[in-house]
Parts: sequence; C-alpha cells; structure tokens
Amino acid sequence: MSGAAGGTPALAAGSAFDRLNRRFGYDERSAALLILPVFAVLAAIAVFPIVYSLYTSLFDINLTRPWRRPFVGLGNYTRVFADPNFWIAVQRTTLYTVVTVTATTLLAVAVALLLNEAFPGRRLLSALVLLPWATPSVVNGLMWKWIYDPGYGLLNGLLTQLGLIDHYAVWLGDPDKTLFMIANAAIWKQMPLAAILMLVTMKAIPEDLYKAATVDGANVFQRFWHVTLPALRPGLMLVLVYETMISIRHFDLFLIMTQGGPGNASYTLSWEIYVETFRNLKFGIGAALSYILALATFSLSYLFIRALGRKLA
Amino acid sequence: MFPSATLSRRALIGTALSAGAASLLGTRPLRAQMPSAVNFTAWSAAVDQVKSHIGAFEEATKIKVNYENFPWAQYRTSVVTRLVADAPMDVLWVSDAWLPEFAEAQWLASIDDIPELMKYDAEAAAYCTQSMTYKGKQYGLSYYGDHMSFVCNTDIMQRAGIDRPPATWDEVVEASLKIKQKGVVEYPMLLALAIDTWLIEFVSAMVFAHGGRFIDPAGAPVMAEPGRGAVETVAWIRDAIHKHKIISPGAVETPDINALKAFGAGQHAFYIVPTYRLRALNDPSQATAAGKIRPALMPRGPRANATATCGWIRFYGMTPGAKANAARRANAVKFIEFFGGKDITGTYRFQKLLLTDLGLPFCTMPLAVDADVKAFWEKWAGGGDIIAQQAKSALKKDVIAPWFGEWNETANTAWQSVFLDRATPEAATRVMADKWLELSKA
Repeated sequence: MSGAAGGTPALAAGSAFDRLNRRFGYDERSAALLILPVFAVLAAIAVFPIVYSLYTSLFDINLTRPWRRPFVGLGNYTRVFADPNFWIAVQRTTLYTVVTVTATTLLAVAVALLLNEAFPGRRLLSALVLLPWATPSVVNGLMWKWIYDPGYGLLNGLLTQLGLIDHYAVWLGDPDKTLFMIANAAIWKQMPLAAILMLVTMKAIPEDLYKAATVDGANVFQRFWHVTLPALRPGLMLVLVYETMISIRHFDLFLIMTQGGPGNASYTLSWEIYVETFRNLKFGIGAALSYILALATFSLSYLFIRALGRKLA
Repeated sequence: MFPSATLSRRALIGTALSAGAASLLGTRPLRAQMPSAVNFTAWSAAVDQVKSHIGAFEEATKIKVNYENFPWAQYRTSVVTRLVADAPMDVLWVSDAWLPEFAEAQWLASIDDIPELMKYDAEAAAYCTQSMTYKGKQYGLSYYGDHMSFVCNTDIMQRAGIDRPPATWDEVVEASLKIKQKGVVEYPMLLALAIDTWLIEFVSAMVFAHGGRFIDPAGAPVMAEPGRGAVETVAWIRDAIHKHKIISPGAVETPDINALKAFGAGQHAFYIVPTYRLRALNDPSQATAAGKIRPALMPRGPRANATATCGWIRFYGMTPGAKANAARRANAVKFIEFFGGKDITGTYRFQKLLLTDLGLPFCTMPLAVDADVKAFWEKWAGGGDIIAQQAKSALKKDVIAPWFGEWNETANTAWQSVFLDRATPEAATRVMADKWLELSKA
C-alpha cells in the first residue's frame, strides 16, 4: 500500500534518513536516542508549561467566569503596568532584594574568611553554620514570626533584658520595619550556602599568592583587597546570581509572616502573583506578572554574569 | 518448581494487565454511573464528626460516600479548579461569601424544586435561609450558622470595679481606660486585625453595630460616606490603637488563632470572636481564663438604635452535574438531608453533634429548646440567652457579591492602612468604594 500510493514520500523519507545516518555516527545516534526520553519528559513538564503560560498571559482568564476567555493580546501586560499596586510591588521587591543580596553576600564573605582560618573547633563551627540552610523554609518563617511576636517574642524579651528597650516593640506589624525583618529571616537561612560557596572559592586561591604579597609587605587588609577579593570573583558571581534569583522571587516568608501586610508594606511581586492567581483566580494577569518577574530575574542575572564574567575572562 | 513459578508469574502478569485494562476502560463510566456513591468535598474541619456521621449515613442508606477535604486556606482555589475541570463532585461545603460567584458560574444547583430539602426552611433561622439564597433561588441546607460575639473577661472587669459589660463603643473606651489606669492589663480591648479569614467579619460586626452598612439596598457603595458606619468604625479602631492605646499596635499582625490564645490566657478584657470559639475559651484544658469569659451584646455606635452583629453561614451545596443525573441527584439529596436536615432518627442529630462536640452553632430553631443544647450553653457560656438574642440581630455581610473576593483584597489593605494610621478613614473607605464600583462595572 505504502509502496504504491506513497512511493515518493517513502523515498524522500528514506533519503532523509540516509542523510542523517551519513551526518551522525552510530555513537551520536545512540546518544540522541538515549537522551530522547529525558528530553521528552523535560519538554512535557518544563518547556510546555513555560510556553503555555506565555499563551495564557495573552487571555483574560478569570476562573470564576469560566464562560468567557477573551484574547487580549498584550492587554494583561498593559493593565499590569498601569496598576499602581504593581509599582508598589516593584519598589518593595527591589528594596528587599538589594538588602537581602547585599547583606547575604557581605556576611558570607566574612564567614568564609573566618572558616578559612585554622583554629580549634573550625569543623564543628562549619557544621553549625550550615544548620540554618538545612532548616525548611516554612519552619524558618514560623520560627522568626514567633521571635518577632510583639507579645511573647524572643527578640523583645532579649532586648528588654539587655536594657535596650523598655517596652515591647512591634516588629512585623510596623510597616517601616517589616521588609527588613523578613529580609533578616531570609539572610539567616540563605547566608550559610553562600558562605560555603565563597569558602570553596577561597580554598582554591594558591597559598603562594599570599606568601608573595606578604614578602612584598602587604598587610592583612591589602592581602584581602589585592589577592582574596579578585580571586573571589567566580564565587561572588555565583552567589550574586543565585541570591538575586532567590530573593527577587521570594514568596514563602511573605506568606507565612505577613501575607503582604501590614497594609501593603510587604506587597512584593511574588505576593502579587499569588494574590492575582490563587486568590483572585485571574490566571491571565498572574501569568503576565510571572513573565515580567522572570524577565527581570533573567536580565539581572545576565547583567551580573556580563559584569563579573568579563573580568573573569 | 520452575514451571509452576513461570505459570504463576504469567498468571500474575495476566491479572495485572486485566486489572489495568479494566481500570482504564471501566472506572470512569462506572464512577459516573454508580448509583450508590456520593462525592462529598469539604474543608478540613470537624473531620472526626463528619467521618462518624458518614459511617451512620452509609449504614442507613447503603450509599457509599467518597469524602475528601482540603485545608480552609486552599479550599476555594481547590474547589474552583476542580469545578472548572469538571471533576466528579456531588455535594460540597460552601461559604455564603462565595455563593454569588459560584451561582453565577453555574457551579451550584438550586434546590428550590427539591421539596425534601426545602421543607427545612420552615424550621431554619431567617438569616440562614437568606444567606443561602441568591437572586431568589436557594442553593443548599446549612452546615452551621454563626455570628460575631462580643465577649468579656469578668475577672478583669471585677478587678477594675466594672460591674456590667459596656453597652456602647464609647463605654468600651471608658471601661478600657479604667482597666488600663488600674494597671490590670495593658491593652484591655483585643481585636485580631491581621489580614486573615475573619477580618471582614470583625469589621462588619462593628459597622453593623454602628447602625451602618457598606452597601445600600440598591447595591451602591455607601462605605465612604460619613455617618453610614464604616468611616466611624475604622476611626474608632484607629483611635483605640493610637489615641487611647487600649488596643495593641501589634493587632495588625495578630491572626484570630493567636488572639484566641491571648484572650484565653486572660490578657485582655474585651474581644470580638466567632461564637463557636466560646467553648474553647471556657475550656480549662485550653484557656487559663476559662469560666470567666462570658458573652455580652455587641456594643452600639452613637447612631445605632439597637445591637447588631455580623452573621454568616456555611452550607451544603449540590453541583449541577449531580442534579442533572437522576441517581446522583437522589443520593446527593439524601446526603444533604442527612447532614443538613434530619437524619434517620428524625432529629437534627448532626447539627446537635457539631454544637456539643465543637461549639458550632446551628440554624435550626427547634434545637434551641433542646435540653442538651441548653445544658451546653450553660456549661460553656453561662447560659444561651444573650447568644440567642445576639443571633436574632445578626446581619448577613452586605458586601457579598460575585466580586467579593477581589474587593476584599483591596479592603483588607485599606483597613490596615487606617489601623496603622497611614491613611484617613475617609481616604481608605473611598479606595474601597471605588474598587467596588470598578468591579461591579467589569
């Protein structure tokens, strides 16, 4: 049947197959066949949702109005940019990301410098430093929420006993402090991994460089500035990219600790995505916001890689 | 050994394949047509009581119940996605706040033409029936009905020399200042003002107690108009926090559950709370102030003639899919009647069980004179008269509309901006009113 009715296509297919055979060797074809299942799975669970969410962002989809689903093109994006809440969320996200990434990176460098020195108990300290990183995010959020509690929180108790405050203070409920208190909880959890990444980079710095600098009369600060810091660039780039990607999309602490409040004090982009998608059930707007956040994340990461990667090269 | 082992393996594979094929080919139609099953979806509350009553239902009717539950915080989203995906659901718990949204989306079926269920209206409190009615059609039978209660810690009041609960909001300030001045507690009034499930009910209760409304009978927002209750209520709360300092500034980060613990620990004198919490508040195993916590009538605002509060109900709804199929409809009706009406014993057994086990008030009026119910209120609230009187003054939330959820997001932020003294009551309520208008026109 196929030979009679479809002779030409069969020949064409055959020649294409022959061309593939000539172009790729047995090993390459085998490798392609072996990775095909993984590629298919990735396409189904990663590529398709990403593409489909872009498609979704072009429609006005509200799950509570299932009978209508108009195509709005870039309408969701223009609505987002015209919404004052979006710009509030951008401000809050920017502040939170800058504070978290800066503090995490600086602390990580300091801790890595400490752990890079030889002293008794260093191994134990290294293990202890990692503990916050191993704490689940939800536990971390609940723990800090209790610590900050205005009625029975540990922070108020400690500050009162130290004589630093004479009256229990409101932490998360004070809009001027909220973002910083959440950032502190995030830094506590994220800093250990960043410190280990820095430490690994530090360990790779040749000892000869320090010896040569010492011979040249460099003091400890000069050795840090001229030897350690330039050599830390690969680690710094990794930490900056990773921490920025984590912080800009941070959600769990906001859900557990403040729910975007008080008022709109912790109304970040990830929170807005959650509210629009899962509370207002507006999947079109939610998808548009997600794409904006993803683009912002990729852009920042690209800038870091460009800026630090060029110096590395 | 080997031949029999091979045979056994073949038999096993054959059986597995047959079972797989049967499940692929037969399960879905079988499930859809199965005349003796009800798919019941609920949030994770009263799980033990529900399971126990499901057992009684299955025993009495020989109808199997496929019961699934989701946490309250994720319930609406979970149910909506299942409804959109046309998942098999027959009966579900519904909040009165979602009724317009669900009815407009045709996710709920009216029960107006089901006399087996409608007959219970004759014995139900009017506000309950009204809360299950949208555009003239009724959509279910009640799971429970409750209202916000104003409760007092009698011990703190006595220690401050206060012999009766405050009857107006001005008296609440006066009594609180007296308690504060005597050094009994620092913040006599407790309100859970975090962005949480109950915030709209707390504020609504106070607005209604001020004689106010959010929306006029024509559906227009009046919440931003001075003298209509909402502006006065948020101003009262702001002053209570920042001027009189009788409410902790930490109230904006206090959810209902934390407030409950604080009040149960005897740290505050006055509190607004869902009535069903009274049992826990007066349970010595859960609260150190147990036995000293008593309900009082919701204080009145300066323009209010009588007490008022916010009431709400949760109810059993039926999906249109279940109603359209004769067998599923029959099972669903039996299930709803067994749980929301009278069961095989001819009594409101489940509603009574929910009260005596968990403190959940009911909508069925005949139960109010039941001896066990009276004993329950006597034990856990010092009597049921005030609760019954307050229940009669309960008003359904007037902001319930198809766009309630989205409006409430804006409202929550706006309330808090006033409580934080970052916005005036007039400006914040104007934001809410504008959002209402925007959503009502969308």
